[in-house]
Amino acid sequence: MSEIAAAGVRPAWRTRPGARAEAARGAPDARRLLQLALAGIWLLDGVLQYQAFMFSKGFSDMISGTASGNPRAVASPITWNASLVQHHLVLVNAIFATIQVLLGIGIAWRPAVRVALAASIAWALGVWWFGEGLGMVLTSAASPVNGAPGAVILYALLAVLLWPADRPGRLAPFTAARAVGAPVARALWLVLWLSLAWFALLPGNRAPQALHDMIAGMADGEPGWLAGLDRGAASLLARQGLAASVVLAIALVIVAAGVYLPARYARGTLVLAIVIAAVIWVFGEAFGAILTGGGTDPNSGPLLALLALAYWPTRAAVTRPAPAPAAAAIAEGTTAS
Amino acid sequence: MIPSWILDIFAAIMLLVAVVSAARLAAARPWGGGRRAALADIDLAHLLMAIAMAGMLVASLQTLPDGAWEAVFAVMTAWFAYRVLRDAQVSGVRALAGGHCAPHLIHAGAMLYMFLAVAAPIAHGSGGMSGMGGGMSGMGTLELPFLAFLFALALVGYSIWDLDQLSGPGTSGHYSLAVAGAPSAPVLTGVGAPAGPGATAVLTEPASHPMVTETIETAPEVPPASAPADGTGVLAPWVATGCRIAMGITMAFMLVIMI
Repeated sequence: MSEIAAAGVRPAWRTRPGARAEAARGAPDARRLLQLALAGIWLLDGVLQYQAFMFSKGFSDMISGTASGNPRAVASPITWNASLVQHHLVLVNAIFATIQVLLGIGIAWRPAVRVALAASIAWALGVWWFGEGLGMVLTSAASPVNGAPGAVILYALLAVLLWPADRPGRLAPFTAARAVGAPVARALWLVLWLSLAWFALLPGNRAPQALHDMIAGMADGEPGWLAGLDRGAASLLARQGLAASVVLAIALVIVAAGVYLPARYARGTLVLAIVIAAVIWVFGEAFGAILTGGGTDPNSGPLLALLALAYWPTRAAVTRPAPAPAAAAIAEGTTAS
Repeated sequence: MIPSWILDIFAAIMLLVAVVSAARLAAARPWGGGRRAALADIDLAHLLMAIAMAGMLVASLQTLPDGAWEAVFAVMTAWFAYRVLRDAQVSGVRALAGGHCAPHLIHAGAMLYMFLAVAAPIAHGSGGMSGMGGGMSGMGTLELPFLAFLFALALVGYSIWDLDQLSGPGTSGHYSLAVAGAPSAPVLTGVGAPAGPGATAVLTEPASHPMVTETIETAPEVPPASAPADGTGVLAPWVATGCRIAMGITMAFMLVIMI
């Protein structure tokens, strides 16, 4: 193919800069872009882990606090981990931070993407248990508004759904279905969002002041404008806990079912999912409390939005033949090994 | 309190970036004019930012007073804003999304912000970030922390994008190890450029940037336009991108720990 052909019918010298290459290479792959977003969040996580707070006793206290309310079998390893962190605070936290930075770099570095994604799954599962108390899903404290089922488990879920492999000859109606297939991907989505709906209706979350207290509590240590937003939202929900929880649960159920609807309706529910994720992130999670200097990650909001994008119906469902090994390796950056 | 050895490591990386950038400037001889002169601003920016960041991380590496650095980065921000606007006239929004000057604009803006927004600088401590204030951990805090967060997000985003482009086929005209290191190798070439004998060539995009190289499919007999004599050794494009990645991550680190 000639240079002119690569750019279309226009001669090269008339082509907009970059258009030739773009035409030659094709549009950026949606899955790769989502992988890069995941890489960026991991890298941000790693950087956040270097904050001064994480080198203080407050970090080990934060970990040990997640043992509370969990069954003994779950809580004991958390307590052990908190003790380990407390006794070797600087070394352990520096290792934690560096691992997360390397995970981000590895996912972004094409030859390492598979290794990094696999490592991220293992790491996320470990942190989910030993650092987040399984997202408190086994306690009465889990709420979609404060980050249940645990942000870090969403990293693992995304790594699975964005795994750089394609099911040959299968229809991929959305990006998340490319590696695991549409039925599995839809089932994972359904379980996630239905569980969020379930958490929203837990007694502790539907109490009259539950949401108010949860959101108002996020204002502590935040910049004035964000604290004001939190307090405003909290005042709107004062004594409205039950109604707000029911409305939230209904919205979450609609989102959960959305991926089984025709594409045009699915898109609507995915937009709803992104809106819910944004509202949770701003009001319920205060941007993961990053602005207080004590946030270990951006919390679940951005991950939920990223998941929704992975389920966005593609305009033309692509039947993917088994790619030639070399081409597949090039596209997914797995050639180095 | 952040252990000083962590700050030392980041400072050492910045010193390495400064040395590499200085070597690139010296090897390119930009005073001779031509294409290489047009690239000097990027290497010069890397050099200055790396020196300033090393001084912010480790007190003993401080060189200029904060006021001087503020002036330097104000000028640098204005320069790259001009470059981005100029690129935008040619390539539109692509100048922001994938242009070469937009990341440098963000870098320069973040540096200016860090020097201007640090709250209540106190006496220099022994740990680091001494020029940026004091406090229990020897670090300053930044006013408008949300702006620090946004800068950190942008820096992380550009660093991740650069890593992706450096390690595989690019879509924004960024440099690629595949192009710089092994232009004829079938691996890591453009997605849309099926590998094959002589299937790739390095072309130049003078309208976008003098050294923007792209890998596109072309006839094997077409020689690389403007043979990349300055694409080897320390002048290899991936070296500059590598410096940018290191600085982006380090800068994001500094912004976050000063929130």
